[in-house]
Amino acid sequence: MQSYVSIENLSKSFGFFTAVDDVSIGIGRGEFFSLLGPSGCGKSTLLRMVAGFETPTSGAVRLDGEEVTDVPAHRRPTNMMFQSYALFPHLTVGKNIAFGLEQDRLARAEIRQRVSEVAEKLQLTALLDRKPQQLSGGQRQRVALARALVKRPKVLLLDEPLGALDKNLRTETQHELVRLQRELGLTFIIVTHDQHEAMTVSSRIAIMRQGKVLQIGSPAEVYETPVSRYVAKFLGEANVFEGGATTRSGSELAVESAEAGGPVFATAADHVSTNGRFWVSVRPERVELARQGSGLEGVIEQFSYAGSGRHYRVRLKSGATLDALRVNLGAEDDLSVGDTVFASWMPQAARLLAD
Amino acid sequence: MMQSKPDLGRRALVFVPYGWLAVFFLMPFLLVLAISLSSVRLGMPPYEPLYAWQGSLLSIRLNLENFIFVLGENTYLLAYLTSLKVAAISTALMLAIAYPLAYGIASCSPRSRSFLIFLVIVPFWSSMLIRVYAWMSILRNDGLLNSLLLNLGVISEPLRIMNTETAIYIGIVYTYLPFMVLPIYANLSASDRTLIEAARDLGCSRLSAFWRVTFPLSLRGVAAGSALVFIPVIGEFVVPDLLGGADTQMIGRTIWIEFFNNRDWPVASAVTVLLLVILVIPIVLFQTRLSRTSK
Repeated sequence: MQSYVSIENLSKSFGFFTAVDDVSIGIGRGEFFSLLGPSGCGKSTLLRMVAGFETPTSGAVRLDGEEVTDVPAHRRPTNMMFQSYALFPHLTVGKNIAFGLEQDRLARAEIRQRVSEVAEKLQLTALLDRKPQQLSGGQRQRVALARALVKRPKVLLLDEPLGALDKNLRTETQHELVRLQRELGLTFIIVTHDQHEAMTVSSRIAIMRQGKVLQIGSPAEVYETPVSRYVAKFLGEANVFEGGATTRSGSELAVESAEAGGPVFATAADHVSTNGRFWVSVRPERVELARQGSGLEGVIEQFSYAGSGRHYRVRLKSGATLDALRVNLGAEDDLSVGDTVFASWMPQAARLLAD
Repeated sequence: MMQSKPDLGRRALVFVPYGWLAVFFLMPFLLVLAISLSSVRLGMPPYEPLYAWQGSLLSIRLNLENFIFVLGENTYLLAYLTSLKVAAISTALMLAIAYPLAYGIASCSPRSRSFLIFLVIVPFWSSMLIRVYAWMSILRNDGLLNSLLLNLGVISEPLRIMNTETAIYIGIVYTYLPFMVLPIYANLSASDRTLIEAARDLGCSRLSAFWRVTFPLSLRGVAAGSALVFIPVIGEFVVPDLLGGADTQMIGRTIWIEFFNNRDWPVASAVTVLLLVILVIPIVLFQTRLSRTSK
């Protein structure tokens, strides 16, 4: 399949430090693609290479079939929304939005029309004569978005665009971004360290660590079938136990785990080998706790009430801990700290990991 | 109770510069203003007292003659205009030199920045008078510059620079340049680099990003630097006196001549008061514009 944005074996070194290490990603037209990773993983450097602010040490960037690796930033059909917004403090909101169009020497009438169009879309019409210093954080964020969108870029690049907003506004803005992206049919590439944000907005996510891409997939794919313990733990919570002797029936496995202190169940694709070291990963919300029955025996050590769910930490007999989350459906809580419980899960709820 | 304490401290702190200004600026100025309203006489001090006691009556005599005289004489008007012209041209020259210099320094790495700024300030470590004298030995007809150019065969006759307006510009630009460089540098080095990236991202070449973003944002530094050199250059005395010729009469020299050659303190004071008025007008205009743009 021909990708709209194609990142090919891209690397970037600063002296001895390799910020981006042989990364290849294909992004389709109209995708909302996230680069997700902890700070320093190279995601911003990767985005800046797509924007044209950094020259790759090796590799290539293609946009809509055209190689742009050596095209300077101001000639690329991309626009960037900066983490700090980078609004021009000496210009009004209207002039900030018109900046790129004026640079392209469009006719005045067209500039005016496009500015008012995008201002209306982002509820900025009343603010066009203000200076950036007079705006709230959320308003500035919308101006920065408008300034980039008004140029109708082939790809919009967003560098931690919501980092400066408080939590409620951030959630609202995430939905707003998704709505805009669908309406305009543009390709968005967003850099974020917030896994929740990446899951909420993206069509696909690339999880990065130390300059390398660990996994690319839809939010459901990377959450349900992580390729490694790191990915499993980076995207949400995960209980991970080292595996031992295994009996396989079809794709279902019963794994003897010394760490968990008993047999644990999991599923694995056929190609995953149970030779060498491997691990079983299970999400807290898939763990069932019962006062009696089969499973791993343990004692509830900690309990926290998180509104939408109840969080239990169980000390297993083996000494390992296990986290379990019960969704709050309004039922009375029948478990408390100190209770002995048995933890179990369906085989298809757990994954076998080789790394 | 709790609040009044820091308030008091703050007031005391504000009082220090105001007190300083009152003692060392306002009072001397009022004295000069008083003298400018008096008239000349022989003796010490060389002006008539402004007030006298006639029995129990206090009589005050204010005399506007000096101002009328100064405003009516072409020599003074010419000296004012010359001063304004020299100040304007040398401010423009300094801007043309200082801006690229400050820009260059601001785009260096932080370590070399502080060294380069140190180099800009280094001349202050020796007396200004010595440095102006050094320029005399460079610019003289048989000075360093002329002997160098003659020996190289670039010119066959010595250039006459000394005692011309050119020498004044060289001296003034040399002396005041750091005052122009520093505020512009301070402004540019504090500027946000991502704004340039944003401009580039929106389609600007390096040059147009400079003109549309960097330059307008540095205008405050330019204004501060210009005010810092323009105002003292108008009253500059040493450089035109030592390097300039008789045909460039600036206002500083005029005041000196009135005070020390003609011993006409009232006229000299009137010239000084008018100079201050000329200087205050642009400052007030500048300040009101500044406060309007920052709102």
